[in-house]
Amino acid sequence: MNLNVLLKAPGAGFDADDDLEKINDLYLDKGWGDGLPIVPPTAGRVQKMLGYCDRPLDEPIGLIAPRYGAATPLRLAACAVMAGCRPEYFPVVIHAIEALCEEKFNVYGVNATTHPCTTLVIVNGPVAKELKMNSGHNAFGPGNRANATIGRAVRLAMLNIGGAVPGAGDMATFGTPAKFTFCAAENEDENPWEPLHVELGFARDVSTVTVFGAEGQHNINDHESITGAGLLKMAAGTVATTGANNLYFDGAPLFVFGPEHAATIAKDGYTKADVKKYLYEHGRVRLGSLSDENIERRIRQWPVFKGEFAEAGPERLIPVMKSPDNAYVIVLGGPGKHSAYIPTFGPTHPVTRALKRRDGQFARSAQDFRQN
Amino acid sequence: MCELRKRGLITAVIYSGPFLKLGKAQARTFGVPELPLLEITHPLGGIPLDDVKARAAQAAPQFADLVRRHIK
Repeated sequence: MNLNVLLKAPGAGFDADDDLEKINDLYLDKGWGDGLPIVPPTAGRVQKMLGYCDRPLDEPIGLIAPRYGAATPLRLAACAVMAGCRPEYFPVVIHAIEALCEEKFNVYGVNATTHPCTTLVIVNGPVAKELKMNSGHNAFGPGNRANATIGRAVRLAMLNIGGAVPGAGDMATFGTPAKFTFCAAENEDENPWEPLHVELGFARDVSTVTVFGAEGQHNINDHESITGAGLLKMAAGTVATTGANNLYFDGAPLFVFGPEHAATIAKDGYTKADVKKYLYEHGRVRLGSLSDENIERRIRQWPVFKGEFAEAGPERLIPVMKSPDNAYVIVLGGPGKHSAYIPTFGPTHPVTRALKRRDGQFARSAQDFRQN
Repeated sequence: MCELRKRGLITAVIYSGPFLKLGKAQARTFGVPELPLLEITHPLGGIPLDDVKARAAQAAPQFADLVRRHIK
């Protein structure tokens, strides 16, 4: 169905004054925005956005909980316009939404929980450079249009299509600034290991989008360690905290190594698998660090906990991850002696989608989605 | 819960105060906007057993009343 027909459907659009301030007031009053000014999703702008979509405009990519709203390209294009995306970013937005709608991501939980989590979007492959995404200095911070607006478009879709309205569908106690936008590209050029998408089985020249149900990052500052063992010891110490959800659920936390830390760790012979094994074996919390009530809950949640941990005394160490494979490792950021631990909601697992055209072929470029 | 309601069984969702909007939105989403919502004092998580029992005592008569109305 073409755009003009779709826009004439009841509720698909409305007439408004061509006044940026009035439109922004209207959108914020209706609860359709994130509090920052939006770009009005006029028919013309939405049409330009859809110029980079090869799917039927009214066919849902997925359903976004808790409202279970149908994420059609038309609706997603409106969110992408509002976020400030350039049209060529739209294939990344679409694939991110497709990924977060997969059951194991648990978008219901990520959207509606009291926990301060959101969707972190990590982009791999050639499309990241094509879109001039930031994978270096300040990659999780402001300053790059693609990073900022792709992440924001995903969030606006979670709000406007998924119903993550604060206090009604998003019950976060605090929320997090990461809920405005949380998106970056992996720093593949300075990665001493295989990048995430290659580790997951994709060719290096395939572009992928991976979503994590993530908290904001917790920094790992280490200017002192000059060996891989030293750096990993400090990283494991950062993981070993009692308050993060990953201690309590079979989740998949993300470790983001800055390029300088990654180089030192790799130089000392650690593979990615070695890093995960180390963090699993050493990222542990003393049983005695947990309150009695928390120990009781763990016994109810995890049957082996009583025999293996609770009865072993306060010095018994509890792994934060259920296995080394639960850990995800990427390299990102610019110069500096910093890495990051990104805990997740807990009952959520990352999902990766390769950028593919509708005919099933891997896209080599965002231009592969261009219509006309 | 919503599926049971659609099948005509007596059903209700018990919620603590701040979750009323979420409960109403979910009932609408799943096609049973009239789903009874029974309020208890917030919070339910992280409270001693006696307080949990007090929450149950709040909910029980509301549910009993719901059943009585259904029988009539």
